[in-house]
Amino acid sequence: MDKKTQDTDRLDPVTFEVLKNSFITSVDQMAEQMLRTCYSFVIYNRDFSNALHDAEGNSVAQGNQDIAVHVGTLHFTCKDVIRVFSGEMLPGDVYAINDPYAGGTHFSDVRLVRPIFDDDDLIGFSQSNGHWSDLGGSVPGSFDVSARDMFREAVRITPVRLFRAGEFCHDVANMIAQNTRDPASIIGDIHSQAGATAVAEREIQRLVRKYGKDQVLQGMREVQDYVETAVRNRIAALPDGEWETVDYIDRDPAKGEGMIPIRIRMTIKGDRITYDFEGSHPTISSIYNSAPGATFSAVVAGMKTFFPDLPLNSGFYRMIDIKAPENSVVSAAWPVAVTGFLMPFEKIMNAIFEMWSQIMPDKAIACAFNLEYLLAGGRDLRSPEKPIFMFYEWLPGGWGGRNGKDGSDVTTACFGTGLMSQPNEGNERVNPTRTVEFQILRDSAGPGKWRGGAGVQKTSILLDSEDAVMSYICDRERAVVWGIEGGLPSMPHGLSIRRSGEKEAKWLGSVFSDYPVHTGDEFARPTAGGGGYGDPLERDPQAVCDDVASDYVSLERAAKDYGVVLKELDADLCEFEVDLSATEKLRGEIRAKRKQWARMPAEDVAILYRKGEIDSLDAVRRYATILDWETGELLEKTTAQFRESFERRTVSHWT
Amino acid sequence: MEHTRVAVDVGGTFTDICIMDETSGAIRIEKIASTPDDPMRAIMDGIEIGKIDLAGVSMFSHGTTVATNALITRNLPRCAMICTEGFRDVVEIRRANKEDLWDTYKDVAKPYIPRRDRLTVRERVDAEGKIIEPLDEAGARRVGEILKKRDVKSVAICFMNSYVNPENERRMRDILKEIMPDIAISISAEIMPEIFEHERFSTTMANAVVSPVVVDYVSRLSERLKEEGYERDLLLLHTGGGVMTPNAVRDFAARLAGSGIAAGAIASRFIGNLCGYPNTIGFDMGGTSTDVSVSYQGESRITKDWYIEYGFPIRFPSIEVLTIGAGGGSLAWRDEGGSLRNGPQSAGAYPGPACYRNGNEIATNTDANLVLGRLGTTLAGGKLTLDPALSETAVRSTVAEPFGMELHEAAEAIIRVANANMANAVRLLSISRGYDPRDFALCAFGGAGALHGAAVAKELSIPTVIVPLNPGVTSALGCLLVDIQHDFSDSFMKPVASTRPEELETAFRRIEREAMAQLKHEGVADSDMILSRTVEMMYKGQWRSLQVPAPAEITDIGELVKAFHAHHQREYNYAREDAEVSLFRVAVKAVGVVPKAELQKHPVERHRPEPTGQRQVWFGNKGHEAAIYQRDDLKAGAMIDGPAIVEQFDATTVIPPGMSAEVDGYFNIRINTQG
Repeated sequence: MDKKTQDTDRLDPVTFEVLKNSFITSVDQMAEQMLRTCYSFVIYNRDFSNALHDAEGNSVAQGNQDIAVHVGTLHFTCKDVIRVFSGEMLPGDVYAINDPYAGGTHFSDVRLVRPIFDDDDLIGFSQSNGHWSDLGGSVPGSFDVSARDMFREAVRITPVRLFRAGEFCHDVANMIAQNTRDPASIIGDIHSQAGATAVAEREIQRLVRKYGKDQVLQGMREVQDYVETAVRNRIAALPDGEWETVDYIDRDPAKGEGMIPIRIRMTIKGDRITYDFEGSHPTISSIYNSAPGATFSAVVAGMKTFFPDLPLNSGFYRMIDIKAPENSVVSAAWPVAVTGFLMPFEKIMNAIFEMWSQIMPDKAIACAFNLEYLLAGGRDLRSPEKPIFMFYEWLPGGWGGRNGKDGSDVTTACFGTGLMSQPNEGNERVNPTRTVEFQILRDSAGPGKWRGGAGVQKTSILLDSEDAVMSYICDRERAVVWGIEGGLPSMPHGLSIRRSGEKEAKWLGSVFSDYPVHTGDEFARPTAGGGGYGDPLERDPQAVCDDVASDYVSLERAAKDYGVVLKELDADLCEFEVDLSATEKLRGEIRAKRKQWARMPAEDVAILYRKGEIDSLDAVRRYATILDWETGELLEKTTAQFRESFERRTVSHWT
Repeated sequence: MEHTRVAVDVGGTFTDICIMDETSGAIRIEKIASTPDDPMRAIMDGIEIGKIDLAGVSMFSHGTTVATNALITRNLPRCAMICTEGFRDVVEIRRANKEDLWDTYKDVAKPYIPRRDRLTVRERVDAEGKIIEPLDEAGARRVGEILKKRDVKSVAICFMNSYVNPENERRMRDILKEIMPDIAISISAEIMPEIFEHERFSTTMANAVVSPVVVDYVSRLSERLKEEGYERDLLLLHTGGGVMTPNAVRDFAARLAGSGIAAGAIASRFIGNLCGYPNTIGFDMGGTSTDVSVSYQGESRITKDWYIEYGFPIRFPSIEVLTIGAGGGSLAWRDEGGSLRNGPQSAGAYPGPACYRNGNEIATNTDANLVLGRLGTTLAGGKLTLDPALSETAVRSTVAEPFGMELHEAAEAIIRVANANMANAVRLLSISRGYDPRDFALCAFGGAGALHGAAVAKELSIPTVIVPLNPGVTSALGCLLVDIQHDFSDSFMKPVASTRPEELETAFRRIEREAMAQLKHEGVADSDMILSRTVEMMYKGQWRSLQVPAPAEITDIGELVKAFHAHHQREYNYAREDAEVSLFRVAVKAVGVVPKAELQKHPVERHRPEPTGQRQVWFGNKGHEAAIYQRDDLKAGAMIDGPAIVEQFDATTVIPPGMSAEVDGYFNIRINTQG
């Protein structure tokens, strides 16, 4: 795989450039077709990817708008299809696979793979990967956070044939579809994805007619070499060295408090780069585990962020080595539950952001919010037939503050920046829910010289329904989104529910499943902002003033987090003014006390919280203390872990 | 007696005026430098220079970039938005995705109306259209008073689910009008009555913010033209491919965004139809970019997925144009992976290509064309002379040396990469939509279109290239040849199986009444109105719909379903005839026919014209002696064999070896790429 193409038979530069662009265009055409013909709303909202592969299954081109989470996994599933069907493939065949233990991501991501032939010669593959609305298992949408193994999660599809020489294999397709809650969509998506793979087949065959098979095959090799060369050159130009960090998953639900570490040591030596996960925690008893394929993908996606201009293909993967302890949260094996792999995925990605921020300060970025995912299902009483409904949805949030620039406000999670958020009017039409608010959440952004991007809050009411249950898949209720270079964390994730007829809302936290809900219940989901970059006391007071005028930041937190004192001139005109001398004075006071605050005995902080004298933002940002946000009970081990990171990323940068 | 038609296309650099004599069909052109601070000045100057007697003008049509520029530069007056409480950030949250997925330092722009100017009132309509909470009138008045204090010029009213019930939005408008009688108000239920709040709000927001700018400009221009003697309505080209009167601009200002781009697509469609090619690909190549459009069976392809700035869709139906960063000034470069690239960076108008002598040392497509002899050493009728030595140096240092190529080989490599990129763009709009390029003609125009058109067509197996008479001002011609047109639509979400033909018919009649009222409002006589229907359908469970033409009277839904399967088959290469089909939306295109003038047609006598010169031109790494012709000398019926070059004031046409060309009765050059 490492062998470079011999120079002697290289393509001329024009043919190379033409083939390279044509490969990418063919993949983008697949994406376009998929978007227009798909059935699963998750695919419609862009949770999909497409690729062209060479005859060995290596990626030749991946789509420009593919979501990050699929990057670096498509070649694994293509190779597994080859392993199973080698020697018996026919033109017009299409295979399916969704196996995370063979390099896939999770069961919901089903890949259709089509061999491409020139007469009798197999010359490559096209692959279309889409997140299907349901794949069976114990809960609607196939995300049961309490699953311990795959038998409760979903249908595992090891490579199977869905089309034989152009003929649709009803038997196999129906068997898969009838094991899901949404068989009509599943059959529809099979046709949509098979149609998409045919688009690339047609394009590659056209290229073969024009340039000849040998040149096209040579082009497939050379585009991989091309990316490899570019990445190697850039890595070789960086100084050799070692960087390390740790990020956490909130907890193992079957164990006591204490966060689950993912440790990464990154080594650059010459033109190679190694990521070593030694010291990462063993697999945990929820679905928040990652199989090796998904971990590889997280590394590639994190790194690709620092090489945004390069095309994606297997050439990018050749200089990366990964070492991970067996059966750890980052290398789970069959049959450990892995559907929530995107929780470790995002930790790895943000950890890589942190390390590369030191290597490439002009691209530095603090931690982004964590994906949250709500799934509710039951019977919709708005129509007499009481149809089953499945409401599931993810929200955007804030990305980390940057070097010289605030973080991106309300953007999809970093695991899949291509993913779109869903229209409320669509939600309300299809599901018995009504949105009460969907807006930017004031004070959600992690304070910093360059603040994080803002998160949102969505609050909805469950309308006429019965037998409804809700699951919530989220994290960073405790491993709160962090700042770097002295920047502050944002806020804890977690859902609250206000029962019909009750006044007070109850905090349910960031992970639960099968929670019964009833008509009239109101549930509120905030998403965190990004972590701050740099010392918030160095933020330009005028920028804080603008944030208050735009209501991104409250007057109160402008003072607490930034030490900026503002006067309201005219609320109707949104006019505020900075009180410079009061600001200078307040900043001095905060500067004098803040290290003590961050090291204050955590039990004292818990008492203040329970008395209602401080809120969760104070606890996290000022006192670096993590509590059970419902009871106010101190989480001692978690706080110790949190404080260790806080000292390193934040306190040590304060002057 | 009025006997002249005038069309004005205002671009960033030039304002083109196309003057047509209705009796003879003859056309003359004026080209003046644009005056971006006030585009009207160049128009009025051009009228004077062109000695146009406005009293004798029967139709004055205009393609304008005023709306587009206002949105791009954000040079907008203070505008506000009023939303349902809890939803003021819909346009800021958008769909939360990014244009560049990987570059974390590239952000999507903020909405045209900033957060502090997005206010809310209590009101709510549910998904079925029931008013759950009536408009809080006291709150509405309070919002009105605040906006008055802020002196906003235009307001967008955007409420949840208003597409099923506009009552609360309308009430809000009435209250606001009492408080601020003179401002422009756009309400989402009337601007774009369709489901999905961000797309509807975003369209309404764009309409609100450009409204004051555009209305002001259009009123001033109308007024001025009237003073100078023009008695009819000024007609403005909109993105849907028709024109509208100033009266309609007041309501739908954002339809003018993208007006300039539509003009080229309309012109190529028109020229294609004129020449007997109802299937035409428009290929408009300028200095920095190329616009590709497709017309199929005489109709332009229409899309509702477009925007001026990423993230802020404008859902008015618009002619589909794909713009790529490949133009005469695009730079050739060797990237770090060792690949030869072309564009999207461009030398622009200044410093321009190396041969312009303004200090650029990187080879552009223009330099490569000059080295190959495809471009002569003078342009614009001798006003601009090019320096071939500078082009040679640039091609050598940018491409020949890094790749170890000969000079001409390197120049040709640059052009081949550019052509391949453009061919890929054409493929995206044709092959990937199920159209076979062999059934099309390529209409090549813009400053550089005719230089590259034949090679791009050959790459795509397109048999014919049409180079119009004035390639540099073809877009202005587009403005001259259009009808008044409006598009109306309404949601109609129902499975086919439970829909009776009468229900669909009723839905169509309702929007047709609205459409006819609009045309009447613009002074169109009943006999000049043409309404055509389309219905959007999908397989039950799909998320995107496909538009299918519908008959003037719906009697049988089965026919529509059959047409839907056929469209799906062509567009996506498969159909599911056993699957359930759903209806999604009904739409009506309302056309007010403007009497057409005919272009002048000359008798065709086949002959072989005398070339005015010869020079060496490189094709396929070989020098060829090519005949040089002057376009102005070529008469209808002139036959030319490649290799040959045709030069004219604003363009150069390349006829490669192995191809032949003929001048038709409208003085178009038609190149046969098959020989």
